[in-house]
Amino acid sequence: MWRGLWTLVARAARGPGRPCARQGSGAPAPGSGATIFALSSGQGRCGIAVIRTSGPASGHALRSLTAPRELPRARSASLRLLTDPRPREPLDRALVLWFPGPHSFTGEDCAEFHVHGGPAVVSGVLQALGESTAWGSRSGPASGPGWGPGSQHPGPSRSLAFAHGKLSLTEVEGLADLIHAETEAQRRQALRQLDGELGQLCGGWAETLTKALAHVEAYIDFGEDDNLEEGILERADSQVRELEVALDTHLRDARRGQRLRSGAHVVVTGPPNAGKSSLVNLLSRKPVSIVSPEPGTTRDVLETPVDLAGFPALLSDTAGLREGQGPVEQEGVRRARERLEQADLILAVLDASDLASPSSCNFLDTVVTPAVARSPSGNSQRLLLVLNKSDLLPPGGPDLSPELPPHLLLSCLTGEGLDGLLEALRKELAIVCGNPSTGPPLLTRARHQHHLQGCLDALGHYKQATDVALAAEALRVARGHLARLHGGGGTEEILDIIFRDFCVGK
Amino acid sequence: RTLLLTHRVDTIGQMSCNPSFGGIGKGHLMREVDALDGLCSRICDQSGVHYKVLNRRKGPAVWGLRAQIDRKLYKQNMQKEILNTPLLTVQEGAVEDLILTEPEPEHTGKCRVSGVVLVDGSKVYADSVVLTAGTFLRGMIVIGLEMHPAGRLGDQPSIGLAQTLEKLGFVVGRLKTGTPPRIAKESINFSILNKQTPDNPSIPFSFINETVWIKPEDQLLCYLTHTNPRVDEIILENLHLNSHIKETTKGPRYCPSIESKVLRFPNRTHQVWLEPEGIDSDLIYPQGLSVTLPAELQEKMITCIRGLEKAKMIQPGYGVQYDYLDPRQITPSLETHLVQRLFFAGQINGTTGYEEAAAQGVIAGINASLRVRRKPPFVVSRTEGYIGVLIDDLTTQGTNEPYRMFTSRAEFRLSLRPDNADSRLTFRGYKEAGCVSQQRYARASWIKSSLEEGISVLKSIEFSSSKWKKLIPEASISMGKVVSLRALDVLKYEEVDLELLAKAVPEPLKKYTECRELAERLKIEASYETVLSYQQQEIKDIQRDEALQLPKDLDYLTLRHVSLSHEVREKLHFSRPQTIGAASRIPGVTPAAIVNLLRFVKTIQQRQAAMNELPKSDQCLGDTDRLEERQL
Repeated sequence: MWRGLWTLVARAARGPGRPCARQGSGAPAPGSGATIFALSSGQGRCGIAVIRTSGPASGHALRSLTAPRELPRARSASLRLLTDPRPREPLDRALVLWFPGPHSFTGEDCAEFHVHGGPAVVSGVLQALGESTAWGSRSGPASGPGWGPGSQHPGPSRSLAFAHGKLSLTEVEGLADLIHAETEAQRRQALRQLDGELGQLCGGWAETLTKALAHVEAYIDFGEDDNLEEGILERADSQVRELEVALDTHLRDARRGQRLRSGAHVVVTGPPNAGKSSLVNLLSRKPVSIVSPEPGTTRDVLETPVDLAGFPALLSDTAGLREGQGPVEQEGVRRARERLEQADLILAVLDASDLASPSSCNFLDTVVTPAVARSPSGNSQRLLLVLNKSDLLPPGGPDLSPELPPHLLLSCLTGEGLDGLLEALRKELAIVCGNPSTGPPLLTRARHQHHLQGCLDALGHYKQATDVALAAEALRVARGHLARLHGGGGTEEILDIIFRDFCVGK
Repeated sequence: RTLLLTHRVDTIGQMSCNPSFGGIGKGHLMREVDALDGLCSRICDQSGVHYKVLNRRKGPAVWGLRAQIDRKLYKQNMQKEILNTPLLTVQEGAVEDLILTEPEPEHTGKCRVSGVVLVDGSKVYADSVVLTAGTFLRGMIVIGLEMHPAGRLGDQPSIGLAQTLEKLGFVVGRLKTGTPPRIAKESINFSILNKQTPDNPSIPFSFINETVWIKPEDQLLCYLTHTNPRVDEIILENLHLNSHIKETTKGPRYCPSIESKVLRFPNRTHQVWLEPEGIDSDLIYPQGLSVTLPAELQEKMITCIRGLEKAKMIQPGYGVQYDYLDPRQITPSLETHLVQRLFFAGQINGTTGYEEAAAQGVIAGINASLRVRRKPPFVVSRTEGYIGVLIDDLTTQGTNEPYRMFTSRAEFRLSLRPDNADSRLTFRGYKEAGCVSQQRYARASWIKSSLEEGISVLKSIEFSSSKWKKLIPEASISMGKVVSLRALDVLKYEEVDLELLAKAVPEPLKKYTECRELAERLKIEASYETVLSYQQQEIKDIQRDEALQLPKDLDYLTLRHVSLSHEVREKLHFSRPQTIGAASRIPGVTPAAIVNLLRFVKTIQQRQAAMNELPKSDQCLGDTDRLEERQL
C-alpha cells in the first residue's frame, strides 16, 4: 500500500532546492496520455546537453526531427542531423537514442537527443520538439501549464518513473542527485544510490522490522488460545535490538553522506590580516573577497561553493578573530565564531612571519589547540593549520617554534604550497564526507536521517511499553518511518508473514 | 415495514458453526454492532455459558470479549426477540429470483430491484432488498469423497438465486469452510485434561447490560487437549479419500482444517479445545478439529487423542463449499453497483464468522432503510470502527479467502477499542440512522459526559512527584526531571487504578469509582492518552483523503481528460471507489493514477464552486453566454 504516496512524489521530485517543484502539490503530473519533454542536463552552457522526451508522441517527435530517416535501433546511439521540421532548417548534428516503452526509463516511449550544449541549440531543439509533440499528443488537461509544449524542466521524467513504479523513492532521489551532481564524488554517490543500494539497505531493515511486528501482531491476535510457539515475543525483542544497533551505527556516520551531497562546510579562520581572504580567492579561483593590507577588511561571512579536490564544499571567509574595534566588526567576529561552530573542516590561517604576535598566540591557544585535541575522533570537526605568507620567511628555512601542531606552508601570493594544501584537503574531506565508492551507502538527505532517527526513537518506545498493544503501535510507527524511506507497509504483508510462520486458528 | 424471508422460521438464530461468539477482533465487532443497537450482543448476554475475555494481559485495546454460547438458548432468545419486533413480519419461503425494473436515473446501476420471486412463483414487492444467503448459494457439503448439495447439514441450497445473480453479471467466486465432528459429552475423560475456567466477574457484550444472565460459578468449563503424531499419520495416509482438501477452492488460513494444519506445519501437536454446546446439551464441540475425512476415519482419528480414547462421535465433521460474490461489486453502504436497492451482507460477500456477518447485517439494514427514505447512506470509516475496516477492506481489496477480522487489520487499533465503541458509533447511529433506542442513547450520553468531566478533573489535579510518591507508595513513580504530575499521568502507571487514586485524593475523585465501567474506562483513556494524541494527525490525513469524493456516475472506461492506463481503468470501473482514499487502497492503482484522479476531482470541485456562485451573476448574462457556460 502506498497511501499518501503522491505527497512523496512531490517531495522527492523537488530535489535539492532546484526549481523543479512544479510536480508538487496539486500541479499536474504527466500521465500516459501526454508527451513531455525537457532538458535533462543542467541549465546553462555545457559541452553536451541532453534533451529527453517521454510519452506516446516520442517516436513521432524523433522521426520528425531526424526526417527522412526511420527510427534508430532501440537503445543504441545513432548520429543524426536534427532539423526543425517547419522551416526545414538544420539544428545540430546529434546523438539520438530511442527507448520504446515499456522497457524504458519511465515505462513509456522515450527518446533522447544529445546535442551540443549551446543555449541556442538547446532552445532550438526544444522549440522544434514543442511543435512536433503537439501534433502527436492530446492537449487535454494532462498537459497543463508548464508541462506541454514549450516546457523546459529538469526532471519531469523522474517523477514519472517513480509514478510508473520503475524506481523506488530512494532511487528517485539518487537520480535527482545524479542530475545535479557537480563533482566527481557526488556523482559516484548518486550512482550508488540510484543503483538502489540505500534502498536495499532500507529494504533489509524494513523486512526485519516487519517480521518483528508480524510476530507481535500474531501474539496479539492469536497468542491466547492458539498454540503459538513459546518465545515469539522474545524473538521479536531480539530482532528489534539488532535493528537498533544497525540503525544506530548508521546514524552515527550520518552527516557524511549529507555533506557529500550538499557540500562540506569549510570555514577559513584566523587572526586579522593572516591572508584568509587571499586563501579563499585562491581556492575558489575567483575574487570572492576584497583583499587589502588593512586588518579587519572582511567583516561579514562570505560564502562560495567550490570543488575542492573533487569534493563539494561551501567555503566561508570570516572576519579575523580579535576583540572588535567597532560595533560592526564586533558583529563580524561574533558571526565568524558562530560559523566556526558549524564547520566540518576548519582552515586555520596564520601569518607565518608573525607567529609570535599576541593575536597569533591567542588564536593558537583558543582555536587551534582545542580543535587539534578533539580531532582524532573520526566525525567531529577537523582542522588544517595553514601558515601563509611563506614568501616572507627568510630563505634559510622557517624558524618555527617546535610546539606548533602539524601545519602546511603556503604562499597565497606565489602559489607555492598550494598542491600540498589541496592534497591535504582531499584527505580531510574524504574523512569528513566519507568515501562514496566504498563502505555502506550513506544517508544523503536530512530526510533519511530524520526517518531513521524517528524509527530508532519508536524502537525505544517499543522496549519501554508494558502494554503489548502500545508496543505494537511503536513498531508500527517505526515501520511507517522506514516505509516513508522505502515504500511498502501494508497490513496484508504482516498477515502474510503471520500465516506463513505460524499455525494459527482453532 | 420489513419482511424477513427464511427457508425455515425454526432455524432463525441457529448457530451453524462454533458454539461461541466473540474473540480477538471479533469482540470488537460485537461491541460496535451493539453500539448501533444490533441484536447479537444482547442475545449473547442472555445465552452464554462461559464468558471469558481473551488477551487480558495485553492491553485493553486488544481485549477480546468472548463467550461459549448455548445453542438452544441463543436460538430461543433470538426467535423471541425477532418474532416480537414491531413492524417486522417473518415468513417462510425460498427466494429464487429478483424482480427488476428500470433504474432510477439519479443513481448508477443498470436496473433496480423492486421485489423477489419465491420458489412457488409468488411475488413479494419491496423498496429495497437485503440478501444474506450465508453458505447457501450453490452450497455443497463434502465428507470424504461424498458431495451433496446443501446449505448446511439438513438444509437445501439456493441454486436458482445463484444463477439469477450470475446472469445479472455479478462476478462469482467459490470459497470453502469446514466444521468439526461433534462428540458425546459423557464419552470424554475430562479428568485428565486441563480445564479453563470463566472470568469472575463476567464482562457483558452489550453496553446496556451491567452483567450477564448467569453467575460465574454456574458457568460451564472448557477443556484443552492436543493432537499427536498418530493423528498426522491417519490424515496423511488418507489424503486420497479427502476431496475437500484436494480442491483448489480457497479456505481460510486462520481457521484451517486439521488436514491443512498437518500438511503445512508437520511434526507438531495442535490444540483442540473441547467446548460445551449448551447447558443441557450432551454434545461437545472439538474446536480445532475441523475435518472432512470419511466418517469412520474421523472417529478413528478422534480416539487417538488424549482424553478422547473412548469418545463417541455423534455427527461427523464436514466441509462446505459455496458461492460468494466479489465484494468489490458493492459500495461501502453494501448496496450493489449493478442493481440499485439490492444489498448484500455476510458470507455472500466473502466473510466468515458470526460477528463479521452481524457487522454487515446492521450496516445493510440501516442503509436499506435509509435508501427507501431517500436519505444519505450511513458509512463507517476506517478511522471510526472495525466495521469500517471490514467493509473498506472488502470493497476496495476484495478477498480470495474467507475474510476474518483481526486487530492487526485496523490502523488505528488504539482508538478503536471495545470499551469506547459506544462513543464512536452510538451517536451517529441515533442521529443519522435512527437505529438506536432512546435508552441506549441516554446511557451513551451519560457515559460520554461523565468521561469528559472525569478526564478534565484528572488533568486539573497536579502535585509534585514526591507528593504523589507519598500519597501512593505502591506506584513506581520515578523521581526524575518531571517536577509535577497530573492525576491523569499517575493513572497511566500500570499498577495504579482509579480506586487507588481516589483513596489518595478522595475529593473530588471518589464519585468516579462508583460506576465500575466509568472507572475502568477512565483508566483506559489515561493509558492511551499520549499515543492517541499522536495518532490524531494521521487520522486527519486519512479523513482528508476520504473527503475527496469521486463522482458516483463516473464511467472510468470512457472517461476522457484523465490519463489512466487501461488496467487502472478496469480496476476503478470494477470497484467504483467513492473517495480518493478508497481508490488509493485498491491494489494495482498506481500513484500516477491517483495524482491524475486527484487533479480531476479538484477540477470538478472548483467547477462546482464556480457554479454555486453563478446564480448571482446569471441575470446579467445574455442567453448565448449562458449556453456557452453550460457547454463548459
